[in-house]
Amino acid sequence: MYHQIFSALVSKPMINVYTNDKEYRDVFAYSKRMVLSEESEKSDIILITNRSTLFKMMRKKQWNVEKDEKPILFVTDYRLLKNSFDIVGAFYWKKGRSQLLFIKNRLDEYNITLPREYKDFIIDEL
Amino acid sequence: MRPKHTNKYIFMIMGLLILFALFLQYSVNESTKELKAQEIKKAERYAQRIGKYIQAKTVEEGKLDLEKYPVIRDELNEVLRAFLAKEYQYIFLLRKDDKGHYRFLLDGSVEDPVEFNTIFFPKSKLFDTVYATQKPQIIEQMEGIEHVWLSLLYPIVDQNKTQALLVMDLSKAYGEFLSDFNSPIMYIVTMIQFFLLGSFFFLVYFAYQYHKLRKSILHDPLTSTYTKVYLQEFFDVQKVNRYNAMMIDIDEFKLINEKYGYESGDTILKLFSKEMWALLPKEARIIRLGGSEFFIIVEKKSSNLEELAKKLFTSLTEKRYLVDNETISLTLSMSAIVIPKETVSIYNIQRYLDEKLLEIKSRGKNGLGIIGNVSGDEIKYKNLDYVKEALEEERLTCLYQPIFNTKTQEIVKYEALVRLIDKEDPQKLIPPVYFLDMIRGTTQYIKMSKLVLKEVFHALHKYPELEISVNLDLDDLYNADMMKLITKQLYRHRGLANRLTFEILESHEIKDYDEVALIFQQLKTFGSKIAIDDFGSGYASYVYLIKLDIDILKIDGSLIQELLHAPERTKIMLNSIKELAEIYQYKVIAEFVSSKEIYDIISELGIPYAQGYYFGEPKPLDIYLEEHS
Repeated sequence: MYHQIFSALVSKPMINVYTNDKEYRDVFAYSKRMVLSEESEKSDIILITNRSTLFKMMRKKQWNVEKDEKPILFVTDYRLLKNSFDIVGAFYWKKGRSQLLFIKNRLDEYNITLPREYKDFIIDEL
Repeated sequence: MRPKHTNKYIFMIMGLLILFALFLQYSVNESTKELKAQEIKKAERYAQRIGKYIQAKTVEEGKLDLEKYPVIRDELNEVLRAFLAKEYQYIFLLRKDDKGHYRFLLDGSVEDPVEFNTIFFPKSKLFDTVYATQKPQIIEQMEGIEHVWLSLLYPIVDQNKTQALLVMDLSKAYGEFLSDFNSPIMYIVTMIQFFLLGSFFFLVYFAYQYHKLRKSILHDPLTSTYTKVYLQEFFDVQKVNRYNAMMIDIDEFKLINEKYGYESGDTILKLFSKEMWALLPKEARIIRLGGSEFFIIVEKKSSNLEELAKKLFTSLTEKRYLVDNETISLTLSMSAIVIPKETVSIYNIQRYLDEKLLEIKSRGKNGLGIIGNVSGDEIKYKNLDYVKEALEEERLTCLYQPIFNTKTQEIVKYEALVRLIDKEDPQKLIPPVYFLDMIRGTTQYIKMSKLVLKEVFHALHKYPELEISVNLDLDDLYNADMMKLITKQLYRHRGLANRLTFEILESHEIKDYDEVALIFQQLKTFGSKIAIDDFGSGYASYVYLIKLDIDILKIDGSLIQELLHAPERTKIMLNSIKELAEIYQYKVIAEFVSSKEIYDIISELGIPYAQGYYFGEPKPLDIYLEEHS
């Protein structure tokens, strides 16, 4: 699932993903089309699963530089979306249903155009 | 009940049990569905109540507005929470924003409640349908949804506009609980089904084995004919009198086996039976009784027995068999019978045909004997087993025929005549012509004589004035067992023996008169009398009058009957017997006096005693005694 989402965000055959969440790392380790990155700066996508990581990432990177530069931030919690305008989307579970959403203006800032099938998951505002 | 029918009933019962087990399964499934349906109805009632409550609390001027009133939101969240029992996983309220996205208004979850206005992707187009149609709907569990069994969507409508959508997610665990609710019963039902199915397969297997075994028991593998067991089963259900029967035995088949070998003998038997099948009507049955003996039954309506028997006999004897480069033909002994309609047992027929077959064999074999008009009684009673059973059960009685004094016109004596009593109809008496020759010389004959003497002595005891005569064959008296029985009975009833007469009949010439004289002496020890039966015919000659100590002469019936044809010559003969008897001081009895005409001549001749139908036919003793009392 994550591979599909990340492929929509990054047009590369092999995507570098950084996450410090052990559970996610264990899962991604078996992916043939995603490479786990040890350094967040060198990754294509940073997957953030908690607030402390988010803040850490925000401090680590100069987020005020050009937005279309890598890495892209993606979270696993709806509430994390509100903590930073740089996060492009989230994938999480709510009321037993998987929720995938992308924020339009943030995608635009990264110059990301999602494939047609993701149209219904793009929202203008939170 | 026949085993064949029993099988049918077992299969029927098994089938019904399997149907019942399927019905049980259906009932349990229906019961589970009913449980779930009730739960859904309950959820619908709750949704309706909650919806109305939310509507009452929040809708103002046709618009549901919760944004402004966080306190009301909290209060309503509490209400949703109150309904969040174990049956429900989630209860929440959604509205559609201007862009068409669903957003949370309320959430009853205790853990991690969703913030007001959080966006929500419902994963089902039915949310939009309910929003548009304003009709509540149930959504079955869908892919990508966890912990939810069913979702009940209930639209909150005001002024014909959908204000919000109440979602009640029934918990998956509760759905499973309901599914499992009847599982113990379902488990038992499944076990029953397995058991019945297993039993059914076993039953089919055993039925197959049973039929295989039956086939081997009922069919003769060598000749492709039936066996004796088949004959028995066949007539358990078929009426014997619908058929005619034949019996065929290949003459001297043992010699064929010995001369050409058993293998060749078997081949001949195969060809022989094949020929029989070809000659007989389709419905006929051939039963191999053993060796080279066959029993055939043919439906009466299918053919004329005489024609069929002759055709069969001719064709089978004309057939040639090639054995060891030698052509041989067979000779047959064959008997056939038109089975009388009263016949109930095929074994009587078989025995009858067997007797006929023996008769043919004794006349030199290679012959056909057809038994046409034989009565059912003859078939039934000329049966040793039947007679044996009758004697065993003491189904025996005596009828009595009076002996008349022609001068005093009074009955002086009665002749006891044995009868067997029919098993099914006690009123029906079986005359000795059916059974006497068959049992003569056997232990059954002694048993019968014992019973006759028992009854006769009983009558003599009961009626002190009465005299009775009983018949004895001279051969009986040569039999040591018979003599022992008679002398024992005479001794036991020695007070009555002087009123008993033994009517002696000889079936062949007496060779040793001294021995007979000694026997007569034994019989007369206790005062019994000796009468010579059928005097004047057969072996009952004048020599007896010289050599034996006798008391009575019974003139043979055939001589008496001659009075009607040659009266004068017969009168001379009868007169000479009478005069001779007077000289020897014997009493004379004329038998077969069947008419007044004969009686008048007898009286005129001065024959003192007479017996015959003119005076009375054989009847129970009580009837005569009552008539003459």
